[in-house]
Amino acid sequence: MRTITFGIAFFALFVSSAIFLGQAPAPSLGIGTPLGPMVNGTDFSGSWRWVNHQDAPLFTASGDIADWGGIPLNDAARVYALSWSASRQTVKQQQCMGYVPPYSWMAPGNYRIWEERDPITQRLVAIRFWGQIAQVDRTVYMDGRPHPPAYAPHTFSGFSTGKYEGNILTVSTTHIKRGWIRANGVPQSDAATVTEHYIRHGDATTILAVVNDPVYLSEPMSKTSLLFRQPADPDAWLYACDDSEQILGRKNDYVASHLFGQNPYVREYADKNKVPLLGAMGGAETMYPEFLTKVRDAAASETAAKAKMLPAGPAQASRAPDPTPNDGNIHVFHVAGSVYMLTGDGANIAVQVGPQGAFVVDTGAGKLSDKVVAEIGKLSSKPIQFIVNTSFHPEHTGGNAKLQAAGADPSLTGSFFSNQFADAGQGATIIGHQNVQTRMQELKPPAPAPPSDTYFEDRRRKYHNEEAVEMFPLPNAITDGDSVVHFRRSDVIVTGDVFTTTQYPFIDVKNGGSLQGEIRALNFILDRTVYQHDEDGGTLIIPGHGRVTNEWEVAEYRDMLVIIRDRVQAMIKSGATLDQIKSARLTADYDVRFGATTGMWTTDTFVEAVYTSLKNPPESASTK
Amino acid sequence: MSRPLLVLFVVLLASLNGYAQGRGGGRGAAPPAARAAAPFDMTGYWVSVVTEDWRWRMFPNKGDYAGVPLNAEGRKVADAWDPAKDEAAGEPCKAYGAPGIMRIPGRFHITWQDDQTLKIETDAGKQTRVFHFGAAQAAGGDLQGVSKAEWEFTGPGLGFAIAGARGGGPQSGSLKVTTTNLRSGYMRRNGVPYSANAKLTEYYDVVKEANGVTYLVLTSTLEDPTYLTQQMITAAHFKKQADAAGWNPAPCAAR
Repeated sequence: MRTITFGIAFFALFVSSAIFLGQAPAPSLGIGTPLGPMVNGTDFSGSWRWVNHQDAPLFTASGDIADWGGIPLNDAARVYALSWSASRQTVKQQQCMGYVPPYSWMAPGNYRIWEERDPITQRLVAIRFWGQIAQVDRTVYMDGRPHPPAYAPHTFSGFSTGKYEGNILTVSTTHIKRGWIRANGVPQSDAATVTEHYIRHGDATTILAVVNDPVYLSEPMSKTSLLFRQPADPDAWLYACDDSEQILGRKNDYVASHLFGQNPYVREYADKNKVPLLGAMGGAETMYPEFLTKVRDAAASETAAKAKMLPAGPAQASRAPDPTPNDGNIHVFHVAGSVYMLTGDGANIAVQVGPQGAFVVDTGAGKLSDKVVAEIGKLSSKPIQFIVNTSFHPEHTGGNAKLQAAGADPSLTGSFFSNQFADAGQGATIIGHQNVQTRMQELKPPAPAPPSDTYFEDRRRKYHNEEAVEMFPLPNAITDGDSVVHFRRSDVIVTGDVFTTTQYPFIDVKNGGSLQGEIRALNFILDRTVYQHDEDGGTLIIPGHGRVTNEWEVAEYRDMLVIIRDRVQAMIKSGATLDQIKSARLTADYDVRFGATTGMWTTDTFVEAVYTSLKNPPESASTK
Repeated sequence: MSRPLLVLFVVLLASLNGYAQGRGGGRGAAPPAARAAAPFDMTGYWVSVVTEDWRWRMFPNKGDYAGVPLNAEGRKVADAWDPAKDEAAGEPCKAYGAPGIMRIPGRFHITWQDDQTLKIETDAGKQTRVFHFGAAQAAGGDLQGVSKAEWEFTGPGLGFAIAGARGGGPQSGSLKVTTTNLRSGYMRRNGVPYSANAKLTEYYDVVKEANGVTYLVLTSTLEDPTYLTQQMITAAHFKKQADAAGWNPAPCAAR
């Protein structure tokens, strides 16, 4: 008993001294598991509802077209928004789009906030936010854990960590998908990060959110939202959303948009509400008092507004950080099931492991192959058995020789088929479209270790490591030999460069690539994906370059290419030359995310590929 | 439990509980001056960041009272708004009273008038709001009314906890300002009315971004049994300026 009472007194002394000093105790270690820091702050738990006493008409998918006053959108975001058509919401993948923070606080439904505490220590592990509309499901970790690496998937809610600063809860969120600043066409890019400050006064909570978006904002956007606590749980929390075909018979390469300068609704909001058009066009200047002075000269204001409706200024390069860790090391990320992504040596590498040998998709640039082999060795106790090349490009095949040599394909050794393959028993078996082999052999000097097990137009399939693995040739996309690989049980699709998160598609027209084939290939992928909820989760995608995604990013990429195709096609029809098309900056709204002004694959070379594809469509019309 | 340990335990708990009741002095001690007790410094120049209610704050139109829980009488008054009549009556400042002024785009200069009085001057409309800590100092009846201020420190709430009362620590708190004795005016610059019966409750908080930007966050609740069907809650925020750049005093404008 004496020991226990002494313990109580010591505990009281410990707690009180910590509070007197104004500091949380340093994190201590439990048995086996590190404990997070002690946190102490305002309790936000309860049921809440959005207060519409401000920004009343702007909740959820609302706001008039071209109602962007007070948003520090940059020129690229403005032309994106001007091109956006509300009909785009009929595109299947757009129908159940999730809500990103902080826009998710503008929904007219119910919100619940609660705390997750460790059942043993009662320490605060996380604060959870649930929003009825789109079933927003956010976890704000309070235990000091780090944010995931840049190549990890994004979600609509993102990854959030929090801390108390006095009586204010401050939440930092990264890994957010492309969403809305306002759901009338103003995008928030997937490079955006958000800081939210939650301030509670009685039954009201004010959220000051600051969005930093290097892609679509010219300066951080700060804005408040209000929640009011509900005295009783409303018992209305779900939002069942399944997409469907809303326009029967429509082709899957149709994406509604307005050509630059042809949005018919651009004046509607301004005229109806007697707002200067320059104000309605948004921009950082509209957030500050001086703007009222600027629009006193109505004629000059109108002229300035019109000048903002078309792309202007020099070409822009991507402002989104490259998620690839180019630090000389190979980084391993568990994607799903038995599939991992290895990144750091050129194109991404996928590895499936199990009781049989490792199944590898692409081998990287070959500069770090020893490290790649070493990392695969940590994942799989069996040697590499199969390698699939999604393309002949060196960033995908550069490591073929070393990875093949490090592997073995026991299925061929002593097999009836061993006579069919010159390299039987000499390492892993390399599989690829016949044109991958052909193109690699045509290189001067020929690239080492091309696929020896090749296919043409048919689906290639294997049952390996206890799951079905399908290889689908998608010719005339990036080249004439592209494939995607679907690990069915893990539900992971490896796309090669048909899809990347880092640049415009590297359409290699000279080697059989085409815009039309690229759009078909993306639609093929989308026909095989399923999201888990509101365009999050489900089938995961390992792109040729960049971070892990799911179908949302693939659909966005497809939509972008369709929109650019339609713009270029319209100018071709009007008789424009390639130079005129380049000058028109038809990709201005996407250059800040995918463009390049230097290097091997610039925006100009991409536009040339689009132009060439449309002027001289490829003969192959594979309908995959 | 041995007696010495029991005494130690009780002393610790008592001191803890006493501390958690907030700063401002214990029983019998004179409270420190409001300026000395401030949990944050909100003096300096601040500029409106007009990202909320942009349309209504920048370019308000007659009859546009979206979001305002006006009752029928309030709508009637708003629909009858005639700025020319206000000008003719020498009343161009009716939108610049306490319930409206903080949402008018402009700059705000906050200073301590004395140890117990915080002052906010506005360049838009050249208004002055005075927040009195302690006893009220004026009779009111004008556009800015009488504003009673207090630091609201995060406390433990009711009940008794043996340890670990939730709160934000000794530097945590907000400025609460309650304004009454107002003369009737407009909460927006388009004639949306509040009455002399209105009561305005404001909370001021300061947040600092990692990049060094400091924001003043204002949460306002307006209660007005004459023109509102329910209390109206809004927020606004302001960015801290290094100096008086942009300070541009201008008279009230009725339209």
